[in-house]
Amino acid sequence: MSSKKIDIKVTDISKGQGILVPIEPVDEIKLPPPYDKLEELPGFKKLTQQALDKYDGYVDGVIAVGVPKPQNEEEEQKLVESFLSGLMKLFSNENNWTFLQPLVLSMEHCAKCQTCNHDCPVYEASGEEEIYRPTYRAEILRRLYFKYVKPGSPLLKKFQYGDIELNWTLISRLVELSYRCTLCRRCAQSCPIGVDNGLITHELRKLFSQEMGIAPKELHEKGTVQQLEVGSSTGMNALVVKDNIEFIDEDMSEKVGFKVETKWDVEGADVLLIHNAGEILSWPENPGAFAILCELAGIKWTLSSEAVGYDGVNYGLFYDDVQLARIVVKHAEIAKKLGVKKIVMGECGHESKVLGIIGERIIGGDVHTENALTFMENIINSGKLNLNPDRNYFPVTLHDPCNLVRIMGVVEPQRRILRKIAPKFREMHPHGVRNYCCGGGSGFAVMSGNNFADWRMHFSGKMKFKQILDAFADEDLNSNSPKYVCAPCSNCKGQIRDILDFYGAKEKSGIYYGGLVELIINAVDDLKEPFIDFDMM
Amino acid sequence: MILIYILTILTVITFFVAVISKIIRISSAPVHLRWELYPVPHEGGGKAKYGGSRLEEPDWWEKKIHKDSLGELKVMIPEIVFLKGVWEHNKQLWIGSYPFHFSLYLFIVNIALFSIVTILKLLGNDVLFSGNIIGQIIYYAILIFAWTGSVLGIIGTIRLLFSRIVDPNLSKYSSASHYFNIIFIGSLYFTVFLWLISGRDFVADVSNFYYGFITFSTAVEIPTIGYWHIILSLLFIAYLPFTHMSHFFTKYFTYHKVRWEDEPNLPSSKLSKKLMEQLNYPVSWAAPHIGADGTKTWLAIATEIPKKEK
Repeated sequence: MSSKKIDIKVTDISKGQGILVPIEPVDEIKLPPPYDKLEELPGFKKLTQQALDKYDGYVDGVIAVGVPKPQNEEEEQKLVESFLSGLMKLFSNENNWTFLQPLVLSMEHCAKCQTCNHDCPVYEASGEEEIYRPTYRAEILRRLYFKYVKPGSPLLKKFQYGDIELNWTLISRLVELSYRCTLCRRCAQSCPIGVDNGLITHELRKLFSQEMGIAPKELHEKGTVQQLEVGSSTGMNALVVKDNIEFIDEDMSEKVGFKVETKWDVEGADVLLIHNAGEILSWPENPGAFAILCELAGIKWTLSSEAVGYDGVNYGLFYDDVQLARIVVKHAEIAKKLGVKKIVMGECGHESKVLGIIGERIIGGDVHTENALTFMENIINSGKLNLNPDRNYFPVTLHDPCNLVRIMGVVEPQRRILRKIAPKFREMHPHGVRNYCCGGGSGFAVMSGNNFADWRMHFSGKMKFKQILDAFADEDLNSNSPKYVCAPCSNCKGQIRDILDFYGAKEKSGIYYGGLVELIINAVDDLKEPFIDFDMM
Repeated sequence: MILIYILTILTVITFFVAVISKIIRISSAPVHLRWELYPVPHEGGGKAKYGGSRLEEPDWWEKKIHKDSLGELKVMIPEIVFLKGVWEHNKQLWIGSYPFHFSLYLFIVNIALFSIVTILKLLGNDVLFSGNIIGQIIYYAILIFAWTGSVLGIIGTIRLLFSRIVDPNLSKYSSASHYFNIIFIGSLYFTVFLWLISGRDFVADVSNFYYGFITFSTAVEIPTIGYWHIILSLLFIAYLPFTHMSHFFTKYFTYHKVRWEDEPNLPSSKLSKKLMEQLNYPVSWAAPHIGADGTKTWLAIATEIPKKEK
């Protein structure tokens, strides 16, 4: 499965038709046995003829977005004009005050030194595929910016910044390319000048969504639109969510031997807990463990049953500032209406980032927010829990969600907790603010249409899987004795679940995954039975 | 010589006008949403060391924000003086880039030293040639910086040019100006080197030029290579702010106003007032789900129930 490299240049993006670079799985990141046989893994699913007829934007033979094909030349021309109009708006104070200053700085000062390249796990995992280089898509936007937005002599601009031909081929491919980066911003950390190619990708996605109405359906129609219309990106309305939580409460009560009861819409509560609603459906033990934790700590807490208030997801962060603002404003309104002291975000990285820092400049500083990791450490420090670390006597490693760690600087609370409750805790390398993304960042964890899931497994998630295996290198990877990957983020958990399934890591090596709160409750000595049941995972 | 003096004045004006107007343009951009990247070195309480933030503290808004400005200096100084970031992430590039940049620093130090001795001379103290020890130290410091700068600069230039040409990772992304800029800066190093080996007293020549410029004197004699160096230097200084190399000052913004900018939006603060103004900017994004018409504001759009999509 080795591919012969095609020599691609920046200007090739607008040339020809069809797939620019057909990609295949490669073996650049070596995995230890029993995961070292690339040929035993499924490759990329071939796209169906229906998909090929319907969509455009073939950059690598993968479809993440599904850019509808224009029906005729006139429509194509209109789309090019729409892109140009969006490009101008992206650089205007009124339409893009949210990110204009950092965007312009990143546009105008890149030295093209490529120092950032090897910080990108996708570029590395793909065997340094040119189109995945952090600077490739950024350079396309940069050239378009200098050509169409910045005033000046065309000849001089060409001399200074190079040229590029704008056409529908470029635009449609660029749409797809803007969804080949997880926005983890590891590349931005290494730029000596402070240029942020992750931000450029983010801004490209905004242009496509906010001006052209192009975005992956998982993030837009089934994501933010559904959340604003129905109440949650999962599709749950208030009745369904209450039903589900009631079921979880019953289950938890049975498990722990005392009554666990979620309170709804408690005015003046100390804490409004907002989970990523995906937890309620996919990992009910997580909100369940939070309920037990709050109960044991004697915290006056509540969930909100108002639409949007019971789902902390905000996919707007990944592709659309307006949708981002609408959801975060709704969260803030609900907190104010209930008069709670603070919002505590569940174990969800992007929710924490939006409510913790990004959204703060939209909703104002009078709504206080706290991330789950700090909240949990504070409870543990209060001494209200009777913890016995021996109950967690199995190997545990920690995944650092980019949004919580690199972007928010929440690094140590989760480690201090693990050092107290998990005697066999070990770090991945690198970790902390220099961690690698799980590969499901920027919405990828919920995007699996066409053959995009294959891409996530082979390219964006491979580095994380290697890190997980390396962290357990001192254990027997051919034994299925339990090993736990602690991922205190809903989207990261989704991606890690998919990677572990893809490689069969649970069956082969006993590698399980879960959140942090489950480990804390598992360590509570007063419970008769262990909270974590590996047989049921 | 008068023409060179006029060129010098025009260069200084162009440089400062271009730099100041760029600073104004960047500073007057709207306040953006927070987009910091940890580690943020001014985080206090030992947090900067591992990349932690105040968000690790429970109820952080009730606590005093401790900003450690010294922490920023601890990062900035090695970054500026040694190009630490390049060293850590791209050693191959550092081999060429460091001597290339360090030589420019040495030349800038020389400009400062020549300016000081010229001012002193105007005040009646020809410190360089008065025979006193300080004058001698300055004389030899200038000479050492010029020699070191020109030799290291030439080495850096050759290395960077070579990399740009032969390394496809760089050549694929290089425009004509990348090669031009390296050669241009290299020519400054090369002309100083030729001046130094020409047998002339380099320090005396340059200090005469500075004094001549301040007094607008035509009685200054410098060798042909000196003219070349001065003209090229002036052209480069005037050209610099119009290129991506303006990162020598815009880096302040990429670090302090983006990467390390973590100011909380406290109620009734200046920041919150500014943000409220911006939330009243009109929106004209055209996608149907936005529901903008060019007059509706961000605030209106963010708080209204969006139109149902078909």
